Amino acid sequence: MSKLKHISIVIILASLGLVMLLDLNKIPNQFEYANSIYHHITNNAVGETGSLNFVTAILYDYRAYDSMGESTIIFGAVSGIVLLLSRKTLPVSSHGLSFIVKRTYGMLTPFIFLFSVYIIAHGHLSPGGGFQGGVILGAISIIFSIVYGSEFDYKRYTPTTKTLLETSGALLFIGIGLIGIIYSGSFLSNLNILNSEPGSLLSAGSIPFINLGIGFKIGAGLAIIFYSMIQKTFKEEASL
Amino acid sequence: MELLLLLIIIPLLTAFLIPLIDIINKKARRVLVLAASLAEFFTFLFLVINNWDDIADGTIFIIYKMGGWFPPLGIVLSMDMLSFYFSLLITISVMFLILYSIGYIGHHEGKYYVLIFLMWAAMQGIVLTGDIFNFYVFVELLLITSAALIGFRRNKKGTIASIKYMFYGVIGGLFIFIGIILLYSNLGTLNYAEISANFTTLSFNTQGIISILFLMGLFIKLGIFPFHFWVARAQSTAPSPISALLSGVVEKIYIYAFLRLFWMVFNFNYLQTTGLDKAIIFIAITSSIIGHILALQESDLKRMLAYSTIGHLGIIVAVLTVNTKLAIIAGLLHVLSHLLMKISLFTTTGYLLQFAPSHQIKDSRGVAQQNMFVFAGFIIAAAGMMGLPPMLGFFSKLYIVKSFLEKSYYLSALLTIVGSITALIYYARYIIYGFKKINLNSPQEFRLILSVLYRERLVTDIALMFVGAVIITGLIYKTFFGPLESVANLLHNPSIYIDFILGG
Repeated sequence: MSKLKHISIVIILASLGLVMLLDLNKIPNQFEYANSIYHHITNNAVGETGSLNFVTAILYDYRAYDSMGESTIIFGAVSGIVLLLSRKTLPVSSHGLSFIVKRTYGMLTPFIFLFSVYIIAHGHLSPGGGFQGGVILGAISIIFSIVYGSEFDYKRYTPTTKTLLETSGALLFIGIGLIGIIYSGSFLSNLNILNSEPGSLLSAGSIPFINLGIGFKIGAGLAIIFYSMIQKTFKEEASL
Repeated sequence: MELLLLLIIIPLLTAFLIPLIDIINKKARRVLVLAASLAEFFTFLFLVINNWDDIADGTIFIIYKMGGWFPPLGIVLSMDMLSFYFSLLITISVMFLILYSIGYIGHHEGKYYVLIFLMWAAMQGIVLTGDIFNFYVFVELLLITSAALIGFRRNKKGTIASIKYMFYGVIGGLFIFIGIILLYSNLGTLNYAEISANFTTLSFNTQGIISILFLMGLFIKLGIFPFHFWVARAQSTAPSPISALLSGVVEKIYIYAFLRLFWMVFNFNYLQTTGLDKAIIFIAITSSIIGHILALQESDLKRMLAYSTIGHLGIIVAVLTVNTKLAIIAGLLHVLSHLLMKISLFTTTGYLLQFAPSHQIKDSRGVAQQNMFVFAGFIIAAAGMMGLPPMLGFFSKLYIVKSFLEKSYYLSALLTIVGSITALIYYARYIIYGFKKINLNSPQEFRLILSVLYRERLVTDIALMFVGAVIITGLIYKTFFGPLESVANLLHNPSIYIDFILGG
């Protein structure tokens, strides 16, 4: 019976692979569709959005509404994981790794934080942005609970703080969108505030602020996900 | 028109505000939930009043450009008659289901409302968007949030169901995503209207692969026969309001996507010239009859209702694919009637199961003694499912059979009727057990195992209200014909939509 199952799985996967192979043939080698939005974006993106990074220009200006949906997916996933995994009792560990690791990490933490802020703030100039920088921000909290023990992390950044950070990031995003309605008549339009020539840190209108909102949302969200997972699996060792 | 945007933003903003309110004051949460649902409802009402003349004519067209970018470049929200019909169904049914939840759900309410509001936003987003990638984003949001709510009971069964639903949903989404990649790399655009205008310039094979990828994705998400495994598990383990939402509303969203994509974005003629439409009808009708047979052999009440959903969705997909004007009207009418009947069945069941030791049909002895009105409501909704005359279910099934006969799909018409008779058997079985008398004072016969109802009155009232809607819509079913005919006109002339989006 199980042999039959395995054979049928192999057949299904092989036929799916064949379909995918056929798909690859359907993707044209040279991208030359006359009316494509691709031509418009490569020619006009810097002038229209002020962002040197075209990917960011698409993600946070032309299709900012999609990014709102994507970051909301993470918000939904965080809420779902907290719902499914949260327990009333919190088995937290006060131990951590050795003294050397703790000291080294203590010295490194400010630089990791600085790096994440750099990635978020330079989203419109270089590769990176809210999603990537937010992950690094979330990693700080994760490493805290591994190196210093989850009790330290719990006391430093309580779940309330993390929730506050996450929702304020989300509200900042929607807030910028709603200000856009008042300012220029359409949701998530690029606000012309604190603007200078393209290439400087405070350029590209509202893109850096949206990046900041997404960064907090993602960072705090990932920390919450990690925290609700260790709540279940972490067991307090009696003696160490 | 900002109102279109508000329909999506209000639930989204509420979902973000609920954790914040939870920190400040947990009691204020219920007020916020209530206020937000009413705000959404009144936004929709305002939209209807503002555009009443256009709605009555069936020519409503509203467009909203995100960020001020013009259509091929940015994302547009648009509302035509098709979106309006589904948006109306979502707004009203989800609002009342949230009110039902206020009475029904007793624990972990914070996260529950966050997720249900995100689901609401996702559904409105899918229905109102005019961009295929944006459609995919909201489909994924709907998947993630509903998967979390399926596991709401946090037992082993719920977790298995949730994970299974997640796997099937992600694979279905993957097919849709590959289809989108192919579309973009061949046409260089993601806008519905532009894809629609240029789709026929693609080669025959490319059109075929894209159509099949989207069909596979949507069929997995709909739970049509070869991919129906997740349906019963998911809908039976979730709490009753979520089962009602999944079976009544979420499945209809994918029906909307099927209509929007295959009629207005892709070329429906392609399906007809290759004979794919006959294949779809065959698969959907097979799925329908298999769903009814599986419901017949099921001994668990909620699983039985879930299998009946497979049966009805199969009929809807089949009749829509017949693609005459009458068939589309019949299909859309059955969307409404199935939505109302399934929600009333699940909401009444959610109340009645409080008095039964388990979900097994045999354990439901004596539920009629507990609350006669709610049990009568269950019987009325079940009668609608079987297709008995005064209810809307009868008229929609009548027109479905008529439109099958008109295009001489005799077997499909026969199987639709056979399905209704099967439904008669499996609902009657439950109703007979419900009427059996038991001694309420003897602890062996009567055990109240779940007492999670905090506001019993609210729960019963809303359940009975849905039952009332089943009867009333049945009495005034002729009024739906005018609007639904304009939806059918729109589906047969996608050029109206293209001109509107790209011209304005």
